[in-house]
Amino acid sequence: MRFLPRQITDKAFTVLTGASIVLLTLVLVVVLGPMLWRGGKAVFFTDTIEFRKMQRDRYSRGDLETLQQQAAQAQTFRSQAYAIIDEFRNGIDTEGLVARSKQVYRQFGKELRYRDLPREDYREIRSQARQLRDNLQEAFRSHEMDTIRKNIEDVLAYRTDERFVDTAAAEFFVLAEEFLASAETVDLDKRQEYADSLAEVEQIIRLLLGPKPDEPVPALTMDRYGATRWDLAEKLLDELLWSEEWVEQEGSAALVKTRVSRTEQFAGTPLEPLFGYVQDNLKQMLEPEFRCYWKYFVDDSTPGYYFGGVGPEIVGTLLLTLLAMLFVFPLGVISAAYLVECASDNLVVRIIRMCINTLAGVPSIVFGLFGLAFFVMFLIPLFGGPSKRCVLAASLTLAVLTLPVMIRASEEAIRSVPQTYKEASLGLGASRLRTFVRVTFPAALPGILTGVILSLSRVAGETAPILFTGAVALGPLPKSVFDPTRTLSYGSYNIAVGDRLAMMVPHNQYGMVVTLVVLILCLNGLAIVLRARVSRKLRGQ
Amino acid sequence: MEPAADRGRSLVLAPLEDLRGFCLHHLGRFLLFMTTLSSVLLVFLIFFFVIRESLPFLSKFSMVEFLGSRSWYPEAEPPKFGSLALIVGSLYVTLAALLLAVPIGILAAIFLSDIVSLRVRNVVKPVIEILAAIPSVAYGFFAVLVLAPWMQAKWGFSTGTNALNASMVLTIMALPTIISVAEDSISVVGRELREASYGLGATRFETIFKVVLPAAHSGIIAAVVLGMMRAIGETMVVWMASGNANQIPSPWWDLSQSVRTMTATIAGDMGETPKDSAHYWSLFAIGVVLLVMTFLLNIVSEYFLSSAKKRTGKS
Repeated sequence: MRFLPRQITDKAFTVLTGASIVLLTLVLVVVLGPMLWRGGKAVFFTDTIEFRKMQRDRYSRGDLETLQQQAAQAQTFRSQAYAIIDEFRNGIDTEGLVARSKQVYRQFGKELRYRDLPREDYREIRSQARQLRDNLQEAFRSHEMDTIRKNIEDVLAYRTDERFVDTAAAEFFVLAEEFLASAETVDLDKRQEYADSLAEVEQIIRLLLGPKPDEPVPALTMDRYGATRWDLAEKLLDELLWSEEWVEQEGSAALVKTRVSRTEQFAGTPLEPLFGYVQDNLKQMLEPEFRCYWKYFVDDSTPGYYFGGVGPEIVGTLLLTLLAMLFVFPLGVISAAYLVECASDNLVVRIIRMCINTLAGVPSIVFGLFGLAFFVMFLIPLFGGPSKRCVLAASLTLAVLTLPVMIRASEEAIRSVPQTYKEASLGLGASRLRTFVRVTFPAALPGILTGVILSLSRVAGETAPILFTGAVALGPLPKSVFDPTRTLSYGSYNIAVGDRLAMMVPHNQYGMVVTLVVLILCLNGLAIVLRARVSRKLRGQ
Repeated sequence: MEPAADRGRSLVLAPLEDLRGFCLHHLGRFLLFMTTLSSVLLVFLIFFFVIRESLPFLSKFSMVEFLGSRSWYPEAEPPKFGSLALIVGSLYVTLAALLLAVPIGILAAIFLSDIVSLRVRNVVKPVIEILAAIPSVAYGFFAVLVLAPWMQAKWGFSTGTNALNASMVLTIMALPTIISVAEDSISVVGRELREASYGLGATRFETIFKVVLPAAHSGIIAAVVLGMMRAIGETMVVWMASGNANQIPSPWWDLSQSVRTMTATIAGDMGETPKDSAHYWSLFAIGVVLLVMTFLLNIVSEYFLSSAKKRTGKS
């Protein structure tokens, strides 16, 4: 007998079977680990002052005074950043500058008209002002440093002219000086390029800090606040410091993504200090604090799940599952009682069992079709209800779906009650019905409850059956059982694939699905504990 | 002891009382029976209503085209309802999932029943229970937001939502069913057979492969069929992960292509179809195909399970 190869095969086989279990555990970790980690961030995270503002505005939570104090403090740091941007914009924004010079000229013209001047003087001053304006505009529009200098000098020559001192026209000289200063630092040929980049920078700053204090309140809630979370703020800071560009590489047709530092991009311009400033002072601008946002499980969300929590989804899920349990519990227990206590092994019972198995094997989407055709379009209208998706139809569908689970669990629970209990009760002269109600059922109740909890967890996670019977993506809490509802399961689907906006808030995506998973795992854990206690008790007898 | 008669009641029932008890007993039994029949009624209602809604479609369009053509253009003019690609798509991801799930599941079942001690078993069992408890939409979420981008980045697929993604996740979902049914049937094979084999000098590997598995084969087949039912009826995962492209992959082994399954078609299209249109009825017709498929698979699994029961009953 070749013993060694056989032994090796045997050992290898053992290792292989062990590996399959290790693989399963690994899969569990891979599926649940990142999900729980990222979902946890929906509740435990470092918020910013923008978050506290949002909470204050939407739910009037938090202390208004502290918030205002913090906001004022943050504003002192923010205003410096805004100042840097404004200065730079003044340097490159040709059209804006031209418009400003025109406005100054108009303003000055008005002033002149109300001054009591001889006609000649009026004309002369006015044409002089026009001359200044044109010089300035030529300078603004020019790309040649010499032209700019010459024009600006021409303008500045009139600075001390008493006709312009202390009038609206004094603004001309401020403009001229500012422009000269920035024209000496900024490469004028790159103006357009700078303008585009600046728009990007401003957009990021806006996402980071929210709208400027003097801006009107935006219509969309999501535009009203800056980065509400510190992790988001850090991501935006990275975007601010580094711009991503697709660069052509030598020798290959594919474009390669490269990161370009914006500090270098704007080197030498007045904007350059902005990046260092924001990087150093981001904490002061946003004032992050660690937060346990447990009201995530209570709050409603804004459209697209952008802000807020999963409150209505949780309520909807509980409503659907509990209602379904209400329908399925009596039906399941009675069926199980009949199958255990009364049924002999005849053809009818075999058919019943086969039907229960068939019911267990029907795909969940077919239950959805059935719910649509039977409950939504036939049964509820038959009793005068509205023929549309509603909580009642959905929970009835779910009840049908979970009936086999319920029957099997109750059957097992009733079967596991020791025969001696029943015999004692029957021996005391109790009828069979009485024996069941007073003896068997109470003894089996913990086991039945385990079944109930397991079917609850199954029902809470089902999505396909409620797609056409009662789930909606958006809407208020149901006011009656004839309204549709939001649920965690359908919400998880919707937030994963349906909504573009949701892609911008991954913590809310994961938060929704983790709420569902944790709810279901808790129910399962409860069932496992309960079952262990029951089996210990029954073994102890 | 006080005599029973002192309580104002005879121990012997009067004939009328007896009759009442008899009637109550049978009436109660009858009521229980009727309640239990509700499962049967529900199965009939499901078949009846799903088929009823699909009848207008089946009477207007040819069955041959429905089952034989692969062009599914329900909104085109004239609409085309060929569900071959959908049926093939369902079977495709299911079989691909089983390819992985069956060996892993049987190995895990052997591990649980024959190799480890009870204590390890009690640790491992919850892992499988948790895998079974995670709702399908959470698996779908994982497939779309974790697995798909990862596949696209690491394996260079043109799309992350494809047949491979769907069948990998279906593998995970079918495993708990396969493991628990297979483990039951493997552990039902008695100690006697195993001890006889060990006594003849066989190693554990030989015992399991030459004695235990053959003895448990019908239960294992039932486990595979049940796992297949789980995979073929699954909706959310395939809807989210399979890419929903109405095509039969070519070459046939190329799992990186997108496919579309029957369940995903029903789930995806039903929201957009008006009631009582050909498209609406056609979705119910697909439902009938699904229902018939799972019904047949169910009968197969019942057959194997009952033959497994018979076999162990004999030994």
